[in-house]
Amino acid sequence: MTENRPHMPDFIVIPENVEQIIELVNFCNKYLVPIVPYISGNNVGGLTIPLQGGIIVDFGKKMNKILHVDETMMYALLEPGVTFGQLKKYLDENHPNLRYSYPNAPPYASVVGNALLSGMTNLSTKIGPMSDSINGLEVITIDGDVVRIGSCFYGINEADPASWWGKGPIPDLVGLFVNWQGMTGLITKCAVQLWPNHPFKKPYLAVFFGLTDIAPFFREIGKLDIVDDVVGFTIEVAKMEVGIDEPKRYPEEPAYSAVIPMSAPSEKMLEAKDELLHNLINKLNKEQGTNIHLIDYNEFSKLYNLKARTIYELPAVILSLVPYSGLSWVGTYCSFENFEELIEKTDALFQKHNVPSYVMMKTMRSGHYGIFRPIFRFKKFEDQENMVELIEEITDTCIDLGCIPYKTPEWMTAKIREKINPGWIKLFEKVKKCMDPNGIFNPGRWNT
Amino acid sequence: MVAVKIDEDIIGKEYLEMAFDRCIKCSTCKYSYKDFEPICPSGEKFLFESYWPSGRIRIIRGLINGDLEWNDDLKDAIFACPTCGGCMDSCQAPHADYIVDMIEALREMAVNHIGPGPNQRKLIERTLEKFNPYDEPNSNNEELKKKWDLPDKAEWVYYIGCTSNYRQQVIRDATIKFLKDARIDFTLVDEHCCTSPMIRTGQVSIAKEFMNYNITQIKNAGASKVVTSCAGCYRTMQKDFEKFGAEMDLEVYHTVELIKQLLDEKKIKFKGEYKKTVTYHDPCHLGRHMKIYELPREVYNKIPGLKLVEMKRNRNHAWCCGAGGGVKIGYPDWAVEISGERINETKETGAKILSSICPFCRTNLSDANDKYGGDFEVLDLLEIIDEVGIEKSEN
Repeated sequence: MTENRPHMPDFIVIPENVEQIIELVNFCNKYLVPIVPYISGNNVGGLTIPLQGGIIVDFGKKMNKILHVDETMMYALLEPGVTFGQLKKYLDENHPNLRYSYPNAPPYASVVGNALLSGMTNLSTKIGPMSDSINGLEVITIDGDVVRIGSCFYGINEADPASWWGKGPIPDLVGLFVNWQGMTGLITKCAVQLWPNHPFKKPYLAVFFGLTDIAPFFREIGKLDIVDDVVGFTIEVAKMEVGIDEPKRYPEEPAYSAVIPMSAPSEKMLEAKDELLHNLINKLNKEQGTNIHLIDYNEFSKLYNLKARTIYELPAVILSLVPYSGLSWVGTYCSFENFEELIEKTDALFQKHNVPSYVMMKTMRSGHYGIFRPIFRFKKFEDQENMVELIEEITDTCIDLGCIPYKTPEWMTAKIREKINPGWIKLFEKVKKCMDPNGIFNPGRWNT
Repeated sequence: MVAVKIDEDIIGKEYLEMAFDRCIKCSTCKYSYKDFEPICPSGEKFLFESYWPSGRIRIIRGLINGDLEWNDDLKDAIFACPTCGGCMDSCQAPHADYIVDMIEALREMAVNHIGPGPNQRKLIERTLEKFNPYDEPNSNNEELKKKWDLPDKAEWVYYIGCTSNYRQQVIRDATIKFLKDARIDFTLVDEHCCTSPMIRTGQVSIAKEFMNYNITQIKNAGASKVVTSCAGCYRTMQKDFEKFGAEMDLEVYHTVELIKQLLDEKKIKFKGEYKKTVTYHDPCHLGRHMKIYELPREVYNKIPGLKLVEMKRNRNHAWCCGAGGGVKIGYPDWAVEISGERINETKETGAKILSSICPFCRTNLSDANDKYGGDFEVLDLLEIIDEVGIEKSEN
């Protein structure tokens, strides 16, 4: 799907257990064979493309067990191959009071992969990225050691499944593996936090008529601590979700929409949240001159297309993403400080290339920061060249405005590296050298 | 725009073209939609991407673009798939309804370059010689007509289908008895293979000729309606005849549709009771391929005393029996292994009877029942109705 160039592996290994992986790592380190971890291959940055050949280790097929769900401490201990669909089904059937946080990714995408790459979810406004919810890891390092990180770190033998309850007040070694794209070791277990599955739920659709009306809303909504998530989309996306393939935005139409799922343990609490949400919008419209309207999302989807519910009933394939053969994005973390400028400049670039504007954005962890993610759908065999030009221009704009791309292909990390302070680069390379002296773990990523 | 021209002679050319600018490999096809249960027997067995629908779409692209070379290593990835359509139901992209068409077009192309799948050449060799894929002497059904005292001309033709005529004759006989008891004006014809085995395995060169032969036979019997007890024949007549340009200006019924109609019109009623718990296996060719899910259940539920229970995967999420798409002849052990999952699911229901309305499903489910010790009866709906008995209603 991605615009990133394909490379072939020399071999594919489908491991069943940790012992086999230890043996594989020892072999590869001895003979300098690259190892590329792979789970479901859904990442649009092409992070599992073996840039230098070698062995793809496919964790998705046989290391995909849900090892433990802890009701008391609200976490799940997972093998890397567990998918969002699998976890959702398991929790719904066995632990209906608990839920996980699900991204706008297909059900076959990997929970652990998304957590290790700081993916965002439909609880991100409340809890931040999935990486913040990792309780602990089991990792095979370059020496073939099995390392347990987090509250599970006591003991010599296999950890008690009930001991994975938190990261603990210890040096945060989880950070050696999060966002490293498989360059520092192979993860074989991961504990992720679960959340109460509140029985009272209500999703809203907000529409924003001015191009940048969404910016003040994003700055304020997180601070209220009332929503599970806020995911903003250009109005073109809302149209795509109701079945319009190549929509246009007309002058009098809203520029943006946002899906706002809310939940609460009681009806009264949901009503109170509802009131606060309406109050915020009234205040913004009155005091800041925005033009924002709230619509009941369930009514909207009934009116236009029930399938449009997939955008908040996750995990689900997002319908607007599947009509073509090509898909890419510039996924970035951003500040809301210069959010209006970011929105305007990106919108202008979409217009310049005559491509329907497809932007997704989120406010993360009570509004401490945001996600700004222009997305690109294209026909690989017709449009890829033109689309690559647009992707690069938007990437440059985002980086110039201080955004930090995530799940990055190597061409994007090359652009980032040009702007990073030398001290960071030096430390990064020292850590990489220490963790993987022969450079066999996913070589080429982050331009290593 | 497809980078390389596709051979104009390929019947499924338009589906091969469709493989290019569709599918982002989101993998939604790998689970039953929103139920998140495995749905693809081929992918679940062989695990490599090439064995999932998204991988097969990429094989099409690679072969047409020249990124892949034709060789025997591709055969299993192309032919080890029962074309059950689980992927079509799960996929939410615009090409969803055509995934099996794409796979069949890929097979058509493969047959031209590397030959048919394992053992599958026999299907066409036998059919050319004996007009059925089972290597049995062709029955022109004259004996049956005499035995059952059927006319030469009638409003309906019962198209038996090769599996019922040569392997699962109990279904054939129960169906004829039902039609007689219901006083349907029907006859039999010298039918040849419906062409389903050819089309599913990409061996399509003589398909249209066979289709036209059968249409002529049916019309010569003066019939305007066809009823068949085979889900595969039904799917082929309803969908493939048109695709191949055969003029099928006849009404086509599956027996279950006729039964339902007769019950609704109160033209028949059941005589006895069937005090057993039954679970129903949705045949892929009737379910996902033709979207008939509730109608058979309504018929089962009308049988006095019968208790119908569901397997955990049912209707559009039903796991395939594993026989279709040339898998039964090409990969016989794996075919039964696929069916084994249905045996386990039947055990979970507590049913004593595993029932379906397809002779090919009956064959493979019975084989799996024997192999995995299912310890229940595998019966077609018509066999159950035969046991209960029907009579023409007074109304």
